[in-house]
Amino acid sequence: MKSKTTIIVCALMLLGGFTLAGTGLAAEPYNLGVNLAITGTGALYCKDGVDAIELAVAEINAQGGFLGKHPIELFIRDSHTKPDVAVREAKDLILRDKVRAILGTYSSACAVAIKPVAQEYKVLHIPAISNSENITMVNFSPYTYQVVPNSYMQAKAVVLGVAELAKKKGWKNYITIASDYEWGRSTQNNTVALLKQLAPDLKLTKEFWPALGETQYTSYITAIMGQKPDFVIGSVAAKDNVAWMKQATAYGFFEKIPYPGSLISVTELIVQAKSMTRGMVGLSRAPFFAHLDVPMMANFVKSFKAKYDRYPSDWAVMEYDAVYVLKQGVEKAGSIDTDKVKDALKGATVDTTRGRLYFRTIDNQLSCSSYIGVVADDPKYPFPIYHDLVEVKGPDSWRPEEEIVAARAK
Amino acid sequence: MDASLVFAQFLSGLSRGMMLFLIASGLSLIFGVMNILNFAHATLWLVGAYVCYTFWFLMQDYAFGLWLSIPLAALVLAAIGWVIEVVLIRRVYKRELPEQLLLTYALVLILGDLIKIVWGVEDKLIERPPLVEGPVFIFGMPFDSYFIFVILVGLAVAVGLWWFLQKTRYGHIVRAAVFSREMVSALGIPIPRIYSGVFALGIFIAGLAGAVQAPVGSITLGMDMAVVIQAFCVVVIGGFGSLLGTFVAALIVGEVYAFSILFWPQGALVLIFVVTAFILIIRPWGLFGTPTRA
Repeated sequence: MKSKTTIIVCALMLLGGFTLAGTGLAAEPYNLGVNLAITGTGALYCKDGVDAIELAVAEINAQGGFLGKHPIELFIRDSHTKPDVAVREAKDLILRDKVRAILGTYSSACAVAIKPVAQEYKVLHIPAISNSENITMVNFSPYTYQVVPNSYMQAKAVVLGVAELAKKKGWKNYITIASDYEWGRSTQNNTVALLKQLAPDLKLTKEFWPALGETQYTSYITAIMGQKPDFVIGSVAAKDNVAWMKQATAYGFFEKIPYPGSLISVTELIVQAKSMTRGMVGLSRAPFFAHLDVPMMANFVKSFKAKYDRYPSDWAVMEYDAVYVLKQGVEKAGSIDTDKVKDALKGATVDTTRGRLYFRTIDNQLSCSSYIGVVADDPKYPFPIYHDLVEVKGPDSWRPEEEIVAARAK
Repeated sequence: MDASLVFAQFLSGLSRGMMLFLIASGLSLIFGVMNILNFAHATLWLVGAYVCYTFWFLMQDYAFGLWLSIPLAALVLAAIGWVIEVVLIRRVYKRELPEQLLLTYALVLILGDLIKIVWGVEDKLIERPPLVEGPVFIFGMPFDSYFIFVILVGLAVAVGLWWFLQKTRYGHIVRAAVFSREMVSALGIPIPRIYSGVFALGIFIAGLAGAVQAPVGSITLGMDMAVVIQAFCVVVIGGFGSLLGTFVAALIVGEVYAFSILFWPQGALVLIFVVTAFILIIRPWGLFGTPTRA
């Protein structure tokens, strides 16, 4: 009697187990944390990021989740763009919500602050919007992967893009303005040397060296505008750059003279659709219109537009890619175990909305491109996009590996 | 080189000169009347910028926010100046110059750390109201509209100080105190109160200058150190204690800087010091200073 019951119970358990496994209900959900600046300065960019993540998660969950059996559960937290808040929320996501990966962040300071926390608790970390080179170059964490072109790649891309644009537009002479100290001098020297190599006909007509800590640039601005250069390259130190940009804007400088290197993402193109000066040279991280030939991008734009009634910004594109990178990592690993996913992504080739790309082994940086172009109206969109688009590939713009090794040895 | 470019450069030099005058005039006033070389002047200028930021931040939803924040910041700084005079400066009038410098330099460090505690290390940014966001065109050359306001404030301070010192009873007393403290004191006028007032007025102008500077770029730690040397240059060239001298010297420094950027950009800063040295060689007491004071 007793053995009969045991057999029946066992049989029921087995049956139940199989059935549950069959429908995928028995498998554990995949808890995914999002740490973005939902309020504060970053809100404009981050709203798009959150929307794109939610779209990607809905798509994947419609297929049963990761590996068809691990539905994704989202935990979204607001970093307020403050590193201390970002760390607090990241810890909470890990300890309370038991997330296996954290997507984010808006500010590089937050990304750098979260990185060691993620590493300590063995949680994957894909900052996706913040792009300081230091996130992956120094204090390297094997748990951090980057899907955004980093600051070094963007700066290099500007130079390569300018050389290309100069040929297209017939630019002949330019002026530089750089803060008079180590970084400003070396950046300016590198830029000028590289331009000389790529476009030997370009002539540097004048160099301006405002002192570090300069508060008033009016005299520089009028002097540069008076010389009427074809374009200006600036390497003004971060602290001083605000003053320089603010005053130059107040002079209408950027409307008169191309100043390649300023970030003009799809967000700016949309938000300032009316006021943005056509003809400005902008730098972008992941504009959707550059890759509409990639089916994944075409589908993403279509779904995003259907769901939210607007076009996705660079930030949406990159956060969407981050979720799909995670998906491919899980599939390659055949498991949602974080360490296995981390190892599977090492050097992996992944399909993204920006085409088939790969992670570089030394720093987990995706081989994604940077984009330079001239702001111009397009009949297909209610906002201007880039014309004369120059795509600078990741492997052409990222920092040589030996320099990363040297930086880490310091 | 066309005339409009020269004119644009002149205007930018003028705005730079006015900004320098705003910083240097309080410094010059305090030295001229009280014989105190206030090394912390530029740091108080920076405090003015931060205080203006706080007022603006509280009123940023209103169009008048910035315009009200600037005078409010100046008033707060005047109060701070009063306290500093009564608590600290008053004790070193009879001391030697190095001791005065030591005290005011200590103030630089203390105020610097206080700024860090109160406002943090992040840069602060004031958004300009739409009225002064874009360029105005003067003879076809663009000019930052905010600097029109800066130039007007500079002129107002120059005229206001002149009127105060030359035309008011209080101004007459201040000028008399410069020549003979004992005589003024003997007439029953409380000298300490006069000095507190002058110091507060000097710091009021510093606060005003800082508040006017605030929306120009971002407000950052260490900004004071970048301007303090140029402010001292202006005071030295003009002659310590001479208001007219400070005004003329500020314009000279602003214009020399602006035009050297046009013709010899590498040497812009050097040239200011060359001019300073040259003037000190031929007139050690500055352009409008008096030999006895030097």
